[in-house]
Amino acid sequence: MQNALRDAAIVEVRSRVLEACLMQSQLPDGMPLDVLVNDTLYHERKRLEVDRKSTTWAEDLSFWDTIKNRLGRASDNEIKDILKSVLERFTEEIRGNFNPVLYNIATRVLPRALPMLLNAMSPKRLLQRGLPDISDTVRIQGNIQAIKRMNELGTVILTPTHVSNLDSPVIGWAIYAMGLPAFTYGAGLNLFSNPVMSLFMRNLGAYRVDRNKTAPLYKDVLKEYATVSLELGQPNLFFPAGTRVRSGKVEQRLKLGLLSSGLRAYVNNLLKKKDKPNLYIVPCTLNYHLVLEAETLIEDYLQREGKARYIILDDESTRARKILNFTQNLVNLEARITVHIGDPIDPFGNQVDPQTGASIDRHGREIDIQRYVTDRQGVPVHLPQRDRVYTAEAGESIAREFLKHNVIVSTQLVAFTLWEMLRHRHRELDMYRLIRTGDEGAGTSANILVERVLRVWQALKARDVKGELHLEEGVVQSGDAAAIVQTALRHFGTYHAKPVLARRGDRVFSEDMKLLFYYSNRLRGYGLEKELESVLKEVS
Amino acid sequence: MSHEHTHAAVIGGGSWGTALAHLMAIAGVKVKLWMRSDERVAEINTSHTNSRYLRDRPIHPGVEATTDLRSTASFAETLIVAIPSSEFRSVAFEIGGCVSGDQILVSATKGFEAEHLTRMSQILREETCCRKVGAISGPNLADEVMDHHPTATVVASPMEEVVEKVGLLLAGPTLRVYGNHDLVGVEVMGALKNIVAIAAGVCAGMGYGQNSLALLLTRGLSEISRFGEALGADRMTALGLAGLGDLIATCASPLSRNNSLGRKLAAGMTLADAQADTVKVAEGVNTTYAANKHASRLGVDMPITRAVNAILFEGHKPAEMLVKLMARANRYEHNDVPIDAPRSVEGSVIDTALSVAARNRGW
Repeated sequence: MQNALRDAAIVEVRSRVLEACLMQSQLPDGMPLDVLVNDTLYHERKRLEVDRKSTTWAEDLSFWDTIKNRLGRASDNEIKDILKSVLERFTEEIRGNFNPVLYNIATRVLPRALPMLLNAMSPKRLLQRGLPDISDTVRIQGNIQAIKRMNELGTVILTPTHVSNLDSPVIGWAIYAMGLPAFTYGAGLNLFSNPVMSLFMRNLGAYRVDRNKTAPLYKDVLKEYATVSLELGQPNLFFPAGTRVRSGKVEQRLKLGLLSSGLRAYVNNLLKKKDKPNLYIVPCTLNYHLVLEAETLIEDYLQREGKARYIILDDESTRARKILNFTQNLVNLEARITVHIGDPIDPFGNQVDPQTGASIDRHGREIDIQRYVTDRQGVPVHLPQRDRVYTAEAGESIAREFLKHNVIVSTQLVAFTLWEMLRHRHRELDMYRLIRTGDEGAGTSANILVERVLRVWQALKARDVKGELHLEEGVVQSGDAAAIVQTALRHFGTYHAKPVLARRGDRVFSEDMKLLFYYSNRLRGYGLEKELESVLKEVS
Repeated sequence: MSHEHTHAAVIGGGSWGTALAHLMAIAGVKVKLWMRSDERVAEINTSHTNSRYLRDRPIHPGVEATTDLRSTASFAETLIVAIPSSEFRSVAFEIGGCVSGDQILVSATKGFEAEHLTRMSQILREETCCRKVGAISGPNLADEVMDHHPTATVVASPMEEVVEKVGLLLAGPTLRVYGNHDLVGVEVMGALKNIVAIAAGVCAGMGYGQNSLALLLTRGLSEISRFGEALGADRMTALGLAGLGDLIATCASPLSRNNSLGRKLAAGMTLADAQADTVKVAEGVNTTYAANKHASRLGVDMPITRAVNAILFEGHKPAEMLVKLMARANRYEHNDVPIDAPRSVEGSVIDTALSVAARNRGW
């Protein structure tokens, strides 16, 4: 967001939140201002007890100590002032920065600097090894024309899937490469911890989101910031999954908090009778052959879901080595990161005509969406409970679009096939035991694996034709199962601490069951397991 | 609350649709009742009866029947759709051409579309642009409602606005309204209880008494609530008016069309003959087919539904199915595990060793 616009947004957010606090405090069942400030103080002090690594820890502590002292003897008017200074502190922290010069540099340097941005690796060392160019590696496809058109007709909210910390820079790059203006987005504080990353994040239009802050007032400020920026016509980027998805699945349970900002901004736009009141949500998927953080993500998932049934087996490996392998893999294997832009939808989850921007029903009939939010006299009104339902429905539409625009790559296809084969072969084991014991060193015949991959591919192809998913261009699209298996094996062998799969003689061995499970999960949600049960169950 | 400026419509002039229009007219709501038959429209507007479905029961003169769907849809803020499930989608599609996003659409039909187990409110969502959708369900036998016997109904929608507005339209001295956000549960229970109602009719028709009926109702409720849960329903809904409440009404009353269908089957009639014998549609037939088709996909064991399906569509005799049901393994009540199934070995090392030893000795 341009700086002038950003400053206007900050002022607007403060005044709106303050006004809302005052108004609700007048209500019989509202929260009095002193209780509100105390509640925020409580959440912040609780955070500071554990969040000692925060770079602003000492500063925060002293701020909240002062607030505590002032609160003790404050009159009603002073409480209002205290609230104002709390809001000021929150908004200042969130504040992004936009430097057009730096933006241009960033987008030019970003592709090469990307591995460096993943912190943990010293720039010097990386330079000695040589830098890959991500611009050759990110493939942008899908409904690019529609997102550009929506950007002309109204304000766009881009909602990508989220599997890796690489997602923000990759999507930032994709936005630039498509010729769109910089998008505003809320990035977790961890992405700001590296000074290089921080510089780029700020200048790519990011504002700071501290996930450790649990005070409801802070969340209101964040949400209102997104709302106001949308009302100012600033395109936004939300990751509706909230955090990186742990299981490797295409996320289906979305967080709706920020998404509801879209609908609220739309109603405000109508109330202000804006020329272009419409907001368009554009879901998109990011697809990697290998996911940088796959090991830690799936570990986290298994621990959380499996609890006592899952025992952690620690395998140490250095982070720097991982990143180097990852980037070399991108270069050597011409692995591509696919960004697939989906079809636009409105804040109610309806489809949108990609040319006119009008909302349409399933039969192509145009919908007057204003009427969803207007009262009997045709005046737009905010009704939070109603709007939550609308937003939940928009979330369902996004989740459906995610599945529809998921791009299946070779590693996922092969992992799915082998995982299902192993699951059937060892059906007496529960998932956690299967992960621990693996296929007991027996391996699987490569020929049979190729044959089964072909059967899974055929089921996927049928869905691809129906528009239910996409197959990656190139080897996966070709349907040459032997080549698909070979490509997957090459990828799997290059980066992870242990190769996910390895071929020895005419047999294929799964070396890391957790990762096999992780990569297989990307194909869940299409009913393939049931459809192919008899095929994958055959003795191999 | 005065309803003199409130406009509502009922789509479908069967017994329940007519009763709903009648109730709202009593409350002072301006009501249009849409149906296809000119003849019946004339009858309702002139003699204020709907003799085909409600015999000579008088309908409130405020109910205006019509065959013009477009004018009906544009007239009303709230539309209640009471069309048999088999025709629901085609009518919903027609409605979709005449409504806008500010209107409320509520289904009063208890059934599924068999192919994908689609609920009626989902069809309203799919075929129209309306988002303010919901469903009405409960122990509401139309004849009793028309006779002003006290009862209650559930208005379900995720949107409070829908619950409130529809609730106020329907509530009156003889009808209480309860709200529920669990739209899935209310619709699923309303539909599935018809399967148990057919079974209850068969049971009564075979001359069995209250013990048998109680067994059927309880285990029926158990299997339909499991099915509901698999579809995302709240278990508590099964114990409410739209679940247990409706189940009791339908299974106990000979007025219920599903129940009476069951009795006819028990008397030896074929499905075709039993259906030809009445003008009212027994939704349970279609629902049995749909639920049976999807039960295994959802991983829910539905023995009663299987039995009813076998009687309806596979030519099996009720007595034969009863023997099969009674011969099923005896089970634990809550988790359906057979009481003589081998226990899984668990507990400490010593417990495990003792259990294995006992098992080896034939225990």
